[in-house]
Amino acid sequence: MSVTPQSLKTLSRAWEPMSYGFLDASAKREMRRKMIKAVAVPGCQMPYASREVPMARGWGTGGLQVSLTLIRPNMRIKVIDQGADDSVNAASIRHFLARVSGAPTTLDTLQADLIQSRHRIPEEKLNEDQILVLQVPNPEPLRPVQPNMSVARQMHADADYGRMWLQLYEQIVRSGRVMQGASYPSMVNGRHVMTPSPIPRWDVPKLNMAQHLTILSAGREKRIFAVPPYTRVEPLVFDDVPYKVEEHHDLTCSRSGAKGFFMNEIPQEDGSSAYELSDSGFGVKHIQQGIGDAVTLGKTWYENGEMVE
Amino acid sequence: MAYVATRGGEQAIEQAERLFRAEMGEITPERVAEIKTALPYLIDRVMGEASLYDEDLAALALAQAGGDLYEAVLLLRAWRTTQPRLHVARPIDQGTLFTHRRISAAFKDIPGGQVLGPTLDYSHRIIATDVLEGARYIPDPVTPAATPAPARQPSVAAWQAENDLVEMPGFDETAPEDIPDVTREPVLFPATRAHRLQSLARADTGATLALGYAAMRGYGQAHPTVNELRLCEAEIIVTHPRGTAFSAGRVKVSQAEVVSKKGNTLELGFAATLGWNEVKCISAATLDLNSKGALKGSPTEEEFYLYHTEGVESSGFCIHFKLPHYVTFQSSLDAMRSAKKTGKTAEKTSTSKEPAQ
Repeated sequence: MSVTPQSLKTLSRAWEPMSYGFLDASAKREMRRKMIKAVAVPGCQMPYASREVPMARGWGTGGLQVSLTLIRPNMRIKVIDQGADDSVNAASIRHFLARVSGAPTTLDTLQADLIQSRHRIPEEKLNEDQILVLQVPNPEPLRPVQPNMSVARQMHADADYGRMWLQLYEQIVRSGRVMQGASYPSMVNGRHVMTPSPIPRWDVPKLNMAQHLTILSAGREKRIFAVPPYTRVEPLVFDDVPYKVEEHHDLTCSRSGAKGFFMNEIPQEDGSSAYELSDSGFGVKHIQQGIGDAVTLGKTWYENGEMVE
Repeated sequence: MAYVATRGGEQAIEQAERLFRAEMGEITPERVAEIKTALPYLIDRVMGEASLYDEDLAALALAQAGGDLYEAVLLLRAWRTTQPRLHVARPIDQGTLFTHRRISAAFKDIPGGQVLGPTLDYSHRIIATDVLEGARYIPDPVTPAATPAPARQPSVAAWQAENDLVEMPGFDETAPEDIPDVTREPVLFPATRAHRLQSLARADTGATLALGYAAMRGYGQAHPTVNELRLCEAEIIVTHPRGTAFSAGRVKVSQAEVVSKKGNTLELGFAATLGWNEVKCISAATLDLNSKGALKGSPTEEEFYLYHTEGVESSGFCIHFKLPHYVTFQSSLDAMRSAKKTGKTAEKTSTSKEPAQ
């Protein structure tokens, strides 16, 4: 048996200006550990170091660290912001992810292995092989009733959500309905109340018993939490006041003709409003289908404007 | 649709960045060197807030960011992320610091003497407009003192401790590699002392001043007396795997120790940072002094001031509001419209004026 002479050069890798996927091995190890903890205790916020990345805090650095840790060269990535692939910050994040990983990108939800998103869940259903990474500005659902994170942390430990319920009750008394817009507080696996990040109420039911893994990461606030596949996610509601998603059931997209999905409202000069699909990739596919291109539209969570149970 | 135009995103951000950079033109090694020599206090501030000691990189970051301090600090922090943590240097004893400036407001004179060192404190702030008309501003030469001040000075607090005036914190026995590192783990509350002082060391100068000033004006319980303020250089002593200890170089550091009377003893507040930054050290030490027993949610409570003086986080969050928020907004509009339909509106809250008005 011949022995190759070993030296530092043969034993070590060539010098590179940065690690694969930007983050170094120690940062990725911490991320992996915290993600596993987050999956093990669904909806529970896990503190993590949250390294600085080459983007400003509040611009998706939490989601970015998760994506950078999970990414592999053969993983197809999709990045959306407010539902749009071509939103400027989504373009910036997608470009960065591709640049530091060599991973291919896509605009099609069905083709994506990893989807990093700010404030939307795509309209087409995700499956068990897909991971959704949601960017989270404020990970603490209790913030409106308790601005101190340390106190809020104790309240979660005690499952002390009385003030949360009281706040919802007060809104009903004052305004006749729950006034929470996006970020609707939701009970995960019957134990931890989480914010689903500022996704519209329309999207929250998509998390309930979903096939895919959702990781929610707040880089600035240094908290990570997860909704594993097939986990209960229940918006906080009173028995006699049902949960209400945005009234977009009957709206039609002025560009693609699609109906019954979450829409962007576009003010018109005549004082009226036009609507367009918020999920831009989905909208593009509808338009392509309209002009006779061969496209595959996936199964959707909503059909005819109603959530399919 | 404006900035979410179909397929326009990538090109738009590319051109927007070019427009920004075109304004500043070429960045050359000469420009970086000029920034480094001409603006040492700015370099110091940026190095402190970045918690990265490298004057050349700091000057480069300033050049690259066009002087936007938050951008420069973020550039350095992001670069720092990619660097391995190779070693933990030995703790620095105050008495070993190579001291350029060291003053105490607590005593007229102190062992080792008051050393004014380089400062603008007593200068008349008159702008040298002549320079704009072609004159050169040539600083007057310094006349060396007959006897130079000793480079190494004992700490004022050590004298006070000997005289039973102040209770010194006990020596922390934590092994160097076990010292909590704020760049490698999140700060949880109550924070360890290491985390608190590290966070303050890299805090934003302006934010630290704002909250420190609030404490000084009376929103804190303790009024600070500057026991000792130092601008100095610290030797970074590391140990070679073979056991030899050697100096890896010197870094500029500043530190402030403030005291306040509490009962029959003095309480200490402390802060230190990389680079020379007196305003930050005094403000940060004042916050440290006031944290004990501070009410939850008050500006001098550590959770409040540590979160809100973190410059990279706060500036990033502030500018993130420029990002589109139309999904969230749409969701709120929906709730508002539907509430309007049902006719119930929120009760008007009473507005009360300040009594003096």
